[in-house]
Amino acid sequence: MVRENYIRRQREEHGRRAVAVLPIHYPKELLTALDLLSVEVWGPPGAPRSDAAGRIQPYVCSVVRNALAFLASGGADVVDAALFPHTCDSIQQLATLAHDFGGWKKPALTFLHPKGEPRPSSRRFVAAELRGLASRLEEVAGRRLDPDRLAAAIQLHREIDLHRAALLDGRAGLDMDDAELYGLLRRGEWLWPEEHRAELVAARSRLDPARRRPGAPVLVTGYVPEPIATLEILNAAGAFVAADDYAAVGRRIARQPDGPIGDPWEALADRLAAVPPCPTRATDQDARMRHLVSLLDRSGARGVVIHVVKFCEPELFDVPAIRRTFAARGVPLLYLEGELERQLSGQAVTRIEAFAEMLGQGGTT
Amino acid sequence: MILRRLQYELAARAVGPFLTALDDWQRRAKGTKARTGPFSPPLESLRKLKDMMTVHYLSGRYADGAVPVAWVTSGFPVELLRPLGFHTVYPENHAAMCGVQRIVPELSDAVEAEGYSRDLCSYVRSDLGSLDTGRSPAGRLPRPDLLACCTNICQTVLYWYRDLARRFQVPLLLVDTPFVYGEPTDHQIRYVADQLEEGIEMAEKVAGRKLDRAALSEAARLGRDGSQLWGECLETARNRPAPWTGVDGFFHLGPIVAMRGTEECNAYYRMLKDELQDRVKRGIGGLRGEEKHRLLWDNLPVWYATREITTLLGNGGFNFVCTTYTNAWAEASSLIDPADPIVSAARTYSMVMLNRDLPNKLRLLSRMTGEFGADGAVLHSDRSCKPYSIGQVDLKDRLASEYGVKTLLLEADHNDPRAWASELSSNRLTAFMESFG
Ligand code: SF4
Ligand code: SF4
Repeated sequence: MVRENYIRRQREEHGRRAVAVLPIHYPKELLTALDLLSVEVWGPPGAPRSDAAGRIQPYVCSVVRNALAFLASGGADVVDAALFPHTCDSIQQLATLAHDFGGWKKPALTFLHPKGEPRPSSRRFVAAELRGLASRLEEVAGRRLDPDRLAAAIQLHREIDLHRAALLDGRAGLDMDDAELYGLLRRGEWLWPEEHRAELVAARSRLDPARRRPGAPVLVTGYVPEPIATLEILNAAGAFVAADDYAAVGRRIARQPDGPIGDPWEALADRLAAVPPCPTRATDQDARMRHLVSLLDRSGARGVVIHVVKFCEPELFDVPAIRRTFAARGVPLLYLEGELERQLSGQAVTRIEAFAEMLGQGGTT
Repeated sequence: MILRRLQYELAARAVGPFLTALDDWQRRAKGTKARTGPFSPPLESLRKLKDMMTVHYLSGRYADGAVPVAWVTSGFPVELLRPLGFHTVYPENHAAMCGVQRIVPELSDAVEAEGYSRDLCSYVRSDLGSLDTGRSPAGRLPRPDLLACCTNICQTVLYWYRDLARRFQVPLLLVDTPFVYGEPTDHQIRYVADQLEEGIEMAEKVAGRKLDRAALSEAARLGRDGSQLWGECLETARNRPAPWTGVDGFFHLGPIVAMRGTEECNAYYRMLKDELQDRVKRGIGGLRGEEKHRLLWDNLPVWYATREITTLLGNGGFNFVCTTYTNAWAEASSLIDPADPIVSAARTYSMVMLNRDLPNKLRLLSRMTGEFGADGAVLHSDRSCKPYSIGQVDLKDRLASEYGVKTLLLEADHNDPRAWASELSSNRLTAFMESFG
């Protein structure tokens, strides 16, 4: 409801149209440059909003099932189009199911980002795909893409990345618990980017490098911090997230050197390539493991939490490698699998508490 | 290397054929056993099929070190690898063999202990489990020098082959085929064609020789002709009674999957087609009794329970006359142009059913039920295969409401029998049969 009112206000006050965006990677700069508000749909969590979830078998992830139920129940009717990135087989199928067989009547756009290692062919393809998406977004926005506005949007999102990275890196010196920090970072999924930047700037002013957060630091890798109670329980039990590799959060922050933008299309392709390794892009698994180890080392995390959505093949395929990587270093690991439920099961709560307590006592597996 | 090559050639040309001939002789001496249950006697071609596949797997045991070996996904444009002399191995095919032999739970347990989730595709769990445990119905698969993966069937194969590349420390040749909504864009086709050219360079390095473009055209022609021949075999089931059952089709897929682009494959399907056409002429059906109802099967077979399912249905006079799964290989290379093997392969392999939207699948299902005169359809809701299964609930309803086809959604997993509820499925299939009156 909060989001719905916000979208309406954006339309009334700024004339902005909105696009619902499914996970995970997409060129948000294009939307911003076209004055389109992106509103991301990560599920949404909780019980499906309508019976339409039953149109997808229960062995498919709850992100996709809930999204169909949400779209079909009119939950996103306030927006003008939906964008389905090429994240996984399930989202690909959702795009055709909702658009072609019912559930979503407004324009359905796709962004087919390439998979695997960067190659000359994939670079050419992404360039063409970005331009193709831009022209479809122009239709939704009812305006032409202005190159200067695109450059400005790229700059704005670079700044946002910078602030988000600073908050995640410096979180041990931040007077916020994990729920508050993630609440802030995840508002970027739907706030107009300039407003989000302002919130981030304000939060950065609360960073105090001298402050040391009490508790056992952990690295969290997974999909999306839902339910947020996962982190609240972790905090209450004496641990906190010191390093983040959530697909929804850390894995979408590009840490690019600041410099001139040059050709904006090249800059967009560069940014997509610069985000941390993500299984949904099928980037090199060894590179991902090195990235996780460096997150652990830089943050001083003493344990790892793998927090995935059940039936999510891209994430699940990397789990054995993550286990191997950290087992070889003697780092304790907790595996959590959920279905975007609003509440954690009693068993999950006990496991999180036991894990945090074990880390607090300096334990290893 | 020379010794290894000699062993490979011997296995392919002498030992394999000798063993299969011996096996044939022993079988004949014992007398051919008629198939039990509701089915007609097996096709004569089945013997040749078994021989071919036996020789293929037997020679494969000696392939590594003798010739370059590629492990290939079923939707990969394998025509590219033929002129470079690769021995090709299909892990999906091998995994299906594990499924038929019901050894998947044991193989899966091995990888689950390493952290692989049971929610991952059971082909992957079977194949990786076979590598971990050394258990294989094929005896031994040759070590790959190259992994060739095309994502036109699913993204799963990319994760699977990445894992294999790490295990074997060999290059991964990826052909990423963006999903096609409606018609493919020019840049999608260009992207796939560019990757094929990049892939050729990689495969040339591994094979240690340059690709002969004339030989590529010839392999493309053979691949296209093979697909067309396979399609013609399938089409014989448009006749009443259908000369074979859909299950026969599952097993006769072997050559078009594993040997596409070779003359041997095409010769086999010419023989099979002749035999099927002869059966049609003589009015011999796949079922011994009357073929009362004709069905379509959607999705992968339930490898460990195909016999159980088809026997139950066959006893009631129900025959699977067409399947979207076997049809996929009739589509596979049929549009390839030998004069332009790269761009035409890019288009053809992008346009396979699993890489296209649901309206296309609905058109295919309705066309097939119409052309094959199927009055019912069983849609296997395959827990392991999301790309094939998402959308089936709607497809089932639309087939029923828009095309008047009786439909059943049957829950299973194509390879892991732990997801199969035999009694419940029998009850559902029985109720489905009763609905025909
Ligand atoms: S949770 Fe995994 S399977 Fe589901 S939509 Fe996201 S990436 Fe795809
Ligand atoms: S069964 Fe489905 S998910 Fe598994 S490899 Fe085949 S197409 Fe992919």
